[in-house]
Amino acid sequence: MSQSLATQCNEVKERYDTCFLKWYSEKYLRGTSTADNNECSSLFKEYSQCLQGALKDRGIDKLLEDAREDNKENDAAFMGRKNCK
Amino acid sequence: MKVFSNAETFNYSWEEVSTANWRKYCPWNDKSTHVVAVDTISRSVDPATGILRTERLITCQQSAPEWLKKILGAGMEESQVLETSYVDPANKTVTMVSANLTWSNLINVQETVVYKPLNEHQTQFTQDAKITALCGGWQRIKNSIEDTMVKRFRENAAKGKEGFEAVLAMSRRVFAEEREREKMTLLMSQAANIRMAQAV
Repeated sequence: MSQSLATQCNEVKERYDTCFLKWYSEKYLRGTSTADNNECSSLFKEYSQCLQGALKDRGIDKLLEDAREDNKENDAAFMGRKNCK
Repeated sequence: MKVFSNAETFNYSWEEVSTANWRKYCPWNDKSTHVVAVDTISRSVDPATGILRTERLITCQQSAPEWLKKILGAGMEESQVLETSYVDPANKTVTMVSANLTWSNLINVQETVVYKPLNEHQTQFTQDAKITALCGGWQRIKNSIEDTMVKRFRENAAKGKEGFEAVLAMSRRVFAEEREREKMTLLMSQAANIRMAQAV
């Protein structure tokens, strides 16, 4: 797996990535689990908490907000919401 | 604005490609070394469509040409990209949209990558990048910045294909080994059950 931007998050990131990949290939792609809340969510929470501080320290959190705002059109196009007639 | 487009075919199923895509930048890929970190920022499944939406923060380390460094100033070795991806399992499509977070007041890079099945064993990859230099200034400088980025995209694309092929091959091998191990475990537990039944 790839490294985390914050070295202190590498360990939990590795565990989360492994969990996600297993869920993705064995359940999600086979259509047996499409739920958001799956076996990896508590690991993801832990990983996110670890990452949050690092993003703030580097000022990336602010850049992310701006980029998300710019990405709204793509969300609309690729999330398949066609109820805006 | 300049555009870079590229298309490739991978001789792997869409399921394999879309799975390996999550670990495209891992030690198995020794070609895309400019990517130093990949972090998942958010992830959710739309209950209505089943589409998996993921945000990943990609950290790159690639030095700019000397002349560009002079314009931008020092400390630009590390840069970040936000990749938002959409996996649509019903239509078997992965769409990834990436935008640069770093130097976004200077240059705007928007990349769209799509993975779609060609048939059961082959997957089509298409890549489109739109590069726009924003700095108010000489058109000549803007053109040079855009050309430099297009050149960078071309170089990274060639390396990316080679690196991803290695990841795909490793993934297939690891999954096969895992299945083999699961089969062995099952057989051994069955054998144990038989022995236990015989002992009774």
